[in-house]
Amino acid sequence: MGFFSGLDTESYDRQYSDRDLVRRIIQYFKPYSKGLLVVAFFLALIAVSGAAVPVLVSRAVNALDQQIENSQIWILSAAVLVSGVFSWGGNWVRRRLLARITQDVIMDIRVQAFRAAASHDLSFYDEFSSGRIVSRITSDTREFGQVVILVTDLVTQLVQAGLVAFVLFNAEPQLMLWLVITLPLIFLFAIGFRRLARKVTRRGMRAMGNVNAAIKETVSGISVAKNFRQEGSIFGEFDDANQSSFRVNLQRGVVLSLLFPSLNTLQGFATAILLYVGGMQAAAGVVSIGSWYLFMQSLDRFWFPVLNLSSFWTQLQSGLSASERSFALIDAEHKVVQVNQNPVPQLSGEILFDKVDFSYTEQESVLHQFDLHIKPGENIALVGHTGAGKSSIAKLVARFYEFQSGNLLVDGMDIRSFNLIDFRQQLGIVSQIPFLFSGTVVENIRYARPDVSDEEILTLARRIGDGEWLNTLPHGLETEVGERGGRLSMGQRQLVSLLRVLVQRPAIFILDEATASIDPFTEWQIQQGLDLILRDTTSILIAHRLSTVRAADRIIVLDNGQIIEEGDHDGLLSLGGHYAGLYNTYFRHQSLAYVEQSVEFSELE
Amino acid sequence: MTSPSISSDLPAEFTLPNRYRTNRTGPIRWIVSHFMRYWYLGVLILIGAYGNAYLAAVVPVKIGEAFNAVMENPAGTDVLIGIVWTIVWTQLVRGILQFGRNFGAEWLGQLFERNIRDELYVSLLGKSMTFHNLQPVGDTMARATNDVREINFMFSPGLNLVIGSANFILLPIIIAPNYHPSLVITPLIFLAVYFLLVWQYLAELRPVSNRVRQSFGTLNTRLAEALDGIETVKGMAQEDSEIERFENNAQGFRDASVRQGDIEARNLTLLLLGVITAGGLLHSLLLFRDGLLTAGDVVAYFGLLQLFGFPTFASIFAYSQVSLGIAGARRILDLINKETDLDQNISGFDQQMRGEVVFKNVSFNYDDDEDAAIDQVSFSVSPGQTVAIVGQTGTGKTSLVKLINRTYDVTAGQVVVDGVDVCDWQMAALRQQVSIIEQDIFLFSRTIRENIAFGSQDSTDEEIIEAAKAAQAHEFILEFKDGYDTVIGERGVTLSGGQRQRLALARAFLTDPRILVLDDSTSAIDSATEDKIQRAIYAAAKGRTTFIITHRLSQIRWADLIIVMRKGRIEAIGKHEDLLASSEAYRRIFSE
Repeated sequence: MGFFSGLDTESYDRQYSDRDLVRRIIQYFKPYSKGLLVVAFFLALIAVSGAAVPVLVSRAVNALDQQIENSQIWILSAAVLVSGVFSWGGNWVRRRLLARITQDVIMDIRVQAFRAAASHDLSFYDEFSSGRIVSRITSDTREFGQVVILVTDLVTQLVQAGLVAFVLFNAEPQLMLWLVITLPLIFLFAIGFRRLARKVTRRGMRAMGNVNAAIKETVSGISVAKNFRQEGSIFGEFDDANQSSFRVNLQRGVVLSLLFPSLNTLQGFATAILLYVGGMQAAAGVVSIGSWYLFMQSLDRFWFPVLNLSSFWTQLQSGLSASERSFALIDAEHKVVQVNQNPVPQLSGEILFDKVDFSYTEQESVLHQFDLHIKPGENIALVGHTGAGKSSIAKLVARFYEFQSGNLLVDGMDIRSFNLIDFRQQLGIVSQIPFLFSGTVVENIRYARPDVSDEEILTLARRIGDGEWLNTLPHGLETEVGERGGRLSMGQRQLVSLLRVLVQRPAIFILDEATASIDPFTEWQIQQGLDLILRDTTSILIAHRLSTVRAADRIIVLDNGQIIEEGDHDGLLSLGGHYAGLYNTYFRHQSLAYVEQSVEFSELE
Repeated sequence: MTSPSISSDLPAEFTLPNRYRTNRTGPIRWIVSHFMRYWYLGVLILIGAYGNAYLAAVVPVKIGEAFNAVMENPAGTDVLIGIVWTIVWTQLVRGILQFGRNFGAEWLGQLFERNIRDELYVSLLGKSMTFHNLQPVGDTMARATNDVREINFMFSPGLNLVIGSANFILLPIIIAPNYHPSLVITPLIFLAVYFLLVWQYLAELRPVSNRVRQSFGTLNTRLAEALDGIETVKGMAQEDSEIERFENNAQGFRDASVRQGDIEARNLTLLLLGVITAGGLLHSLLLFRDGLLTAGDVVAYFGLLQLFGFPTFASIFAYSQVSLGIAGARRILDLINKETDLDQNISGFDQQMRGEVVFKNVSFNYDDDEDAAIDQVSFSVSPGQTVAIVGQTGTGKTSLVKLINRTYDVTAGQVVVDGVDVCDWQMAALRQQVSIIEQDIFLFSRTIRENIAFGSQDSTDEEIIEAAKAAQAHEFILEFKDGYDTVIGERGVTLSGGQRQRLALARAFLTDPRILVLDDSTSAIDSATEDKIQRAIYAAAKGRTTFIITHRLSQIRWADLIIVMRKGRIEAIGKHEDLLASSEAYRRIFSE
C-alpha cells in the first residue's frame, strides 16, 4: 500500500455505522491481542530508534564546535549503530508478527465467509452472481487485512514525527514553527496531485476496458480471419486498439511519474529555506548548530506521514467497505428454515404435495394450492412450456427453496423436519448442465460416496453400453475432466453424472434433462444409464427428450403451476389436448417419423 | 479444359511488408534489438538518472559548506544566500532531470508494450491454421496482455529504479574522496555488500512468491468451482467436505504468504544501511578528531551516506520486476518462434475445384508418442455428394475433416482432391475452396451484415440478404430492432448456437466454396426451429461436396454416404440401408 493505491476505487455512499464496523473488526483481532501488544511495543521501539538517529547525530554535530572526545565519538557511533540495528530488528519482528496476524485473520474471515456461502440456499445464488461472491471471499477479505498494515505504518510514522517534534520543540520552538508552516503546503500538494492522478487513472481504466475487449476479440478471431483470408482487416482493428492503449497508458504514466520529481524539488526549496533561517539564527548564536542540523534533517520525517495522511482516508474507507461486503455475506439471512433436525431413515420415496404455495419473489406465484402424490418407486415426467413450474417442483423436493404455505411430505414426514444433510444423501440429482469438479472421472463419480471402491465403480460403468464410453476417454476412469468438466463432451459429462448417482444409490432421483445435442451413440448409452437408475428410484424427470417421456410411468402436464393433464404418452396424445400441442412443439422432431419425412426439406425451395 | 487460376497473387500466410526486424535468438537479445530503435531514450534515462543523483548529492555538499561558513569566527553569513540560491536552482533542475528519467522509462515501457504486442500479433496472423487449432486462445490472450505488460513494468518502474538507484550508490563513491581519500571505503563496502544481499534476497524470495501465486490460484479456482456448482454440492450433501477443502486451500495460501512475509521482514539491506550509517559517522568523526576533516565536511559526508536510502528502498521490488519482465519476454518469444511445418506451396496446383475427395489409407497423429487419431482410413466421395460423419466424442471425426484443407497434414497415406494430393495444391487455392464451419462459431462484435460478408467484403446488400434467407437467418435477424445493423454482443444482443450456425452458413453462401465442412453440434429445442435448421443445411449442401459431422438422425438418414467412426477407424460405411443391415450399433440408434 502506498500513495498510489486506492486510486482506482470509488468511495461508495453506503449507509452503515462506522462504529459497528470497527467494533466488529476489533472482534476478529481479539484472539490476537497478545501478538498485537507485542507489535505495538516494537512499533514504539522502531519509532524511538528512527527518531534517535537524527537526534544523536545532531548531538555529534554540536560537539563539532569544539574539541571532540574519543569516548564521545565511540559512544555516539555505537548509539547510531544500536538504533540502526534496533529499527531493523524491530521491523523484522513487527513484520513477522503482523504477517501472521493479518494472514490468520484473513483466513478466519475467509473460512467464515465460505462457510456462510455454502450454507446459503439457492435463492441466495439467484440474487447474487457467484463471481461476485468469490470476490467477496478472496479480494474483499484481503483488502480488509491490508487495513491493519495501513494503520500500523501510519502510526509508526506519526509517533516518530511526534518524538522528533517533541525534541525539536523543547530545544528550539521557533525553528519548529518554520517547519510546521511547510506541512499544509505539502498536504495541499498531495491532495491536489491525487485528484489529478485519480482523474487520469479513471479515464485510463475506462479506455483500457475497451482496449482489452478489442484485443481479446482480435486474438480470438484470428482463426476465423485466417479461414476467410481477412487478416488485413482484423489487423487494422487490432492496431487501432493497440495504438489507443499506448496513448492512454502513456498519458497516465506521464502524470504519475511527475510525483517524485515535484516532491524532490519542493523538498529542495524547503531545505533551502530552513538552511537560511536556521543558519542565520545559528550564526547569531540564538540556536545551536546541532539544533540547526536536526531541524533540516527532520523535514523528511514530517513530510512522509503527511503524504501518507493525504491518502489514508480513501484507503481506509475502501478497506472498511471491503470488510462490510464480507460481513454482509456472512450475515445474509437464510430463507430455507428447518423446524427440526430429525435423522432420516431409509426412504421409500413417497412424495406428497399438499396445497403447496410457492413463489420465488412476492410478485408472481409459481405454484398455487398445488397437489401431487408420487407413489414409491414411481417415475413421473414433468412437461410444459418454460415457466410452467417443472423445475420448481423438483427444487422444492430437493429442499433448495422454501415454499410459503401447504405441506410437503416425504414418506409421510414433513420435509421441514429433516436434517438436510441426511435427507440429501438419499437424493440423486442430475442438473441440466451436469457439473463436474476438476479432477479425474473416478473422483467425480465418488464425489458423494468417497468410500466406494474402484472395482465397484468399474462394474457399474461397464453396465452402461458395455463400457464402450470408457474407451472414448483417453485415460479411462483416470481421465482429468478439466475445470467444470470442460475437457469432456456434454454427453460424457452426463454419463459421469449419471454414474455418480448410480454409485450413490438414492431413494429419490431428480433429473433436469439436458437440451444439448449429443451424438446418437452416446445418447443410447445415456438412455441405458437412466434405465438403470429409474428401476430403483422414485424419479422426477423434467423431460426434454421423447424417449424419456415415453419411459415415464406417468406424464404430468403443467401449465401456470397447475396440473392440466396426466397419463401415459399414447393416451395423452390421442386425447388431442395440451399434451398433443406440446408434443408438436417440442418432441415431434425427435421421432423417427420426422426423420423419415425430413428429406422433403431438401426439395422445398 | 482450362479454368481460371485462383488467386495466385495471395501468399498462403499473412505477412506485412517493411517491418522492423528484431533478433529473436534469446529474450535479452530480443529486448535489446527492440531497444536499439529507441536508443536515444536510453540516453535520456542515463542522463536523467546521473543528473538526478548528482544534483541530489549537491544538497549535503552545500549544507556542509553552510556549516563551515556559519562555524567560522566571525560567522560568514553572507555566503548563505548564495548557497540557498544554488540549492534552489539545482533542485529545480534536478526535478526536471528526474522527470526526464521517469518520462524516458515510461515512454520506453509503453513503446515496448505496444511494439511487442504488435510483433506478437503479426506473427500470430502469419502462423498456420494448424498452429491456431492447437494453441489455446486463453494462453495466447495471457501472453498478449499480462506478459506484454510485465515487459512494460520491467522498464517502468523496474529498470528506471535500478538505474536511478545505482547512480545513488555511485555518487558518494565519486564525491567522498574529495573530503578525504579514505572516506571512499564505506560507500565501497555498501556497494559490494548491497549487491550480494539483493542477489541472495531475490533468490530466496522467488520460489516462495511463486508458491504464494500458485496457492492463491488453487484457492480461487476451487472456490469459483464450488460456488458455480453449489447446486451439485448441496444436492450431494457435500457442504462439509467443500468447507474442509476450502480450509485446506486457505491454510496453504496463508502458510505461503507468511513465509513470504518472513523473508520480506528479514530483508538485510535495511540492516546494512544502519551499519553503514554508523560506520561512516564513526570514520568521519575520527578523521575530524585528527584534524583531517572540518565540521562541515562531516555533515556533508553524513548527508551523502543518506543517499543510500533510495537504493535500499528500491531493492525490495525493482530487481524482481526486471526478472519478471525477462520471464515474460521469454514466454512471448517462445510463442513467436513456434513455427509450423506446413509449406505454402505457392507454385502448386491452383485450378477451379470440382469437389471430388479421396482418402487413401490415411493415418494421422498429433504427437509421435500418442495413439493415432486417424488410423488407416480410406473412402471416396464424388463431387456434390453429402457425407455424414457420426461417432462418439474422441473418435477422430473432427481430425478427419481437417485433413482436407490441410489444417493438419497426414502422417501416412494421401488425401486427394480432384485427383491431386492436397499437398500439391497451392495452399491459398485449396483453403479458398474448402470452407470449414467449426463447432464453436466465432462472431465479431460487428454488425450482422459485416459478419455475414466477412469472407467476401464486396458483397452488395441484396446478396447478403439473399444469403441470409437461404440460411434461414433472415427472419430472426429482422426481429432485432436494428435488423442487419445489429451489433453482436452490444446491449445484450446474444445469439443461440443455432442462430450463430445459420449466420455462418450465410457466410458460406457468399463465399461459395466447392467443399463445405460443417461441424454441427447445435440442437433445436422446438420442432419449428429444427425445421429451419434442416432447410438451411440442405440448401447449403446443394451443389457442392459437403461433409457434415452431425448428431441429427435426419442428416444421417438422408446422406449420400455415412461414415461411422470408432477409435480413429471407420467402423461402418455406406448408405442408410446398407448400415441398417450391417451395423448393430447403427441399428440401435434408429430403433425407438
